Amino acid sequence: MSGGAARLTARGIVRRYGGIEAVGGVDLVAPAGRITALIGPNGAGKSTLFDCLAGTVKPDAGRVLLGGRDVTRVAAHARVRLGLARTFQQIAVFPTLSVADNVRVGAEQRPDRADVRGRTERALALFGLREMAEESAGAQPTGVLRLVELARALAGEPRVLLLDEPAAGLDSAQTARLVAVLRGLAGRGMALLLVEHDAGLVAELADTVYAMAAGRVVAAGTAAAVLADPRVTRAWGGGA
Amino acid sequence: MAASDSFGLTVDLALAGLTVGSAAALSGIGLVVCHRATGVLNIAQGAQAMAVAYLLRDLVVVRHWPVWPAVAFCLLLVAPTLGVLLDVLVYRPLQRRGAGPADTMVAGLGVFVLLIGAVVLLWGAPPLAGAPSPLGSAPIRLPGGHALRADTVAQLAAILVLALTVAATTRWTRFGLHLRAVVDDRRLAGLAGVDADRVSAAGWAFGSFTAGLVGIALAPYLLLDPYGLPLLVMETMAVAVAARLRSIPVAVATGLGLGVAQAELTRLHPAGQLLPLVEAVQSNLFVIALLATALLAGPRISGERHGRPAFSAPGAAGGGRGAAAVCLVLLLLPLGFRGNDLRSALLVPALALVLLSIVVVTGYGGQISLGQAGYAGMGALGTALLMSGRVPGLPPMPAAPALLLAVLVTAPLGLLTGWPAIRRRGLALALVTFAVGTAMSRFVFQQPYATTGLTLDRPSFLAGDRAFYVAELVLLGLGAALVRGLHRGRLGRALTAMRDHEAGAVAAGVDVPGLKLLAFVAGAALAALGGGLMGLAGRAFDAASFDPVRGLLWFAAVVVAGADSALGAVLAAALLIGLDAGTVAGVSAVAVGVLAAAIGRFPGGLAALPGRRPAQAPPSLPPGRLTPAGRRVRATIAVRIAREEER
Repeated sequence: MSGGAARLTARGIVRRYGGIEAVGGVDLVAPAGRITALIGPNGAGKSTLFDCLAGTVKPDAGRVLLGGRDVTRVAAHARVRLGLARTFQQIAVFPTLSVADNVRVGAEQRPDRADVRGRTERALALFGLREMAEESAGAQPTGVLRLVELARALAGEPRVLLLDEPAAGLDSAQTARLVAVLRGLAGRGMALLLVEHDAGLVAELADTVYAMAAGRVVAAGTAAAVLADPRVTRAWGGGA
Repeated sequence: MAASDSFGLTVDLALAGLTVGSAAALSGIGLVVCHRATGVLNIAQGAQAMAVAYLLRDLVVVRHWPVWPAVAFCLLLVAPTLGVLLDVLVYRPLQRRGAGPADTMVAGLGVFVLLIGAVVLLWGAPPLAGAPSPLGSAPIRLPGGHALRADTVAQLAAILVLALTVAATTRWTRFGLHLRAVVDDRRLAGLAGVDADRVSAAGWAFGSFTAGLVGIALAPYLLLDPYGLPLLVMETMAVAVAARLRSIPVAVATGLGLGVAQAELTRLHPAGQLLPLVEAVQSNLFVIALLATALLAGPRISGERHGRPAFSAPGAAGGGRGAAAVCLVLLLLPLGFRGNDLRSALLVPALALVLLSIVVVTGYGGQISLGQAGYAGMGALGTALLMSGRVPGLPPMPAAPALLLAVLVTAPLGLLTGWPAIRRRGLALALVTFAVGTAMSRFVFQQPYATTGLTLDRPSFLAGDRAFYVAELVLLGLGAALVRGLHRGRLGRALTAMRDHEAGAVAAGVDVPGLKLLAFVAGAALAALGGGLMGLAGRAFDAASFDPVRGLLWFAAVVVAGADSALGAVLAAALLIGLDAGTVAGVSAVAVGVLAAAIGRFPGGLAALPGRRPAQAPPSLPPGRLTPAGRRVRATIAVRIAREEER
């Protein structure tokens, strides 16, 4: 895998709600093999930008490129099939399906439909979900559900993974496992973009950090540099 | 001279239109106020209106009460009491449980169906004449030679009084403050010391009172029957939807405006083939308005919160071998029947096929569809038209190819409800699908060409009822197999994913819009097949069999019997046909109504009763999100309430 090539690119993304500019012209690059983090206070526009990238919200201006391809007008589910997967801040699993079927749904949406079983099994194994694979997802605790959602996203073998606060609700052991898995994914060439509030996790994981405030990127660079940037610490209310 | 005549006619028509318009405006006020106080759209309003109208007629015509004490008894005592009872027994348990709008709507449909069943039990299904008109239609002379009916004047006065009272109460009283607090955030208002239960009880009492008022106002113009009046009142929901369920002035203006416009349309007399269509529009402007407003209102009135399952179909799939065995016995039993018993039983497999369409669309796909009766009617009417050689360019056909072709033609019509479903959920989708079904009934089934000269004779080898019943069973078996196929494998998992969590399904790569269209098209085909068989069973096309209000009963019955399983459709069909045939008409509606209304007490309905796996709650519910302005308002209200409490 060619480390460093831009896998997901946002150019001049603008999204307004009413008269308010939730995202005001953001440029962002998530390179292959790297973990990129998006930080910022509540209301900074991270979630809206995320939705624009995933395709659930249409930007008023700007373009989204997946690899070299312009996907700005591609529907959300079709972007997933092109290799752009996401997870939600509010866990999104299918409670009446089993854990395995939750993951299988993600595995079998690819156009080629090759090796569904193998990809499902690998994703379940990656997060230690095999032992509860046949249990109903609705009966699982929050920490497990986060992993189920992540496993579902990975079962489609995406090239880009968008993660919205992936560690929320996880205990320390689960978080450690998550960190290891995400590093491993990046190591295998996947581009990861995560929205995260936990500054410690950002510092530990991210190669590149974008800090947003009021709909714009106010700082970008290495984790250490951005987290120490006075504009960022001010915007974050010293929470960083 | 001609010009002034024309102007005079315009004024006269406008004044005449105010009669229906003012009733619609009253209906709108009731819906808006009730929704503001309780957060629930009173979908049973039409049935409440009908029940009160029946009661008044009974008191005055049968029991010879004087009119005014009877009106006061109905409106000031019975109707508000009914409203409070509904709040305490039906809606409050739902609210406590934090039930979604889908469950709340099913409970409302339960109330609707229960009231219809009760009225049929008490007063019978045939239409009754002579609903009392307390004020009469004596004209009140206006300057310029125009006249306004006395009851219209009273209705306009009632609108004014109610609108002003509501406005004054909301603005200047403590109760109004509490009302606004509850509207903003029920739980927070409760924490701030507002008695939310009292507010919602008052909302339901008021909603029920205005429903009664609407019923009494409209009844003198119609024959009273258990389906017609509720449907008419449901059509006036357009008024409340246009007001976004919030604004009383908009509701009143829309109601009066539609009434006047409908009256003015009677001046159009186009020649030739357009005439029936124009006449249909003239008498059904409210249906068009309901369709238009429900489509335009879009997702904003869905009442849905992001991340909730679209429709929490109760229980686990299947229900086990026991239920399957029961269904099989229920279906095979009629083979031993004869005469009229067998003839009634012919409707069971046909109706089961129609109900299977609700299993596919709602149970599997999670999309609320209240319009399936429309597709069933399309199947029946299409079969009849094709068999009678009434389709231009086609010779009269035998029954089997006619039925098949009718199904194939109806299937793509599923897009009429499938397309709006792509961006709508919950209440918004329920209203659109209901409006589509109503429009089909009013504009297609109740037209002259559909009521005369149609044949639906069965082929000679199926002329015997037993042979036809066997043929129905075969088709039902095929339908059930198709439905099971939809619920299995990759497609079944994708459907379940869409039902459980739409955004999650999209994120998994499921083609949610395409899947919705598929579900609605498959549903339309199944409903058309069942409807065609219903027509062939009775050897006639009867528009009343596919009345949209009947469709509500069907929907509630499927949900109660278990929308997540093909067996639920068979059970529901047997329940609907068997109970009424075996006892008295109306019993099945009462039974379905009670069970559906009790969905707040037995979450998940029948399917969740012992022996089945309970429906699972979604793993996490997102907190309600307020805009910054909303947060400021919330804080201000909390402070104001705290200050008032200190005083």
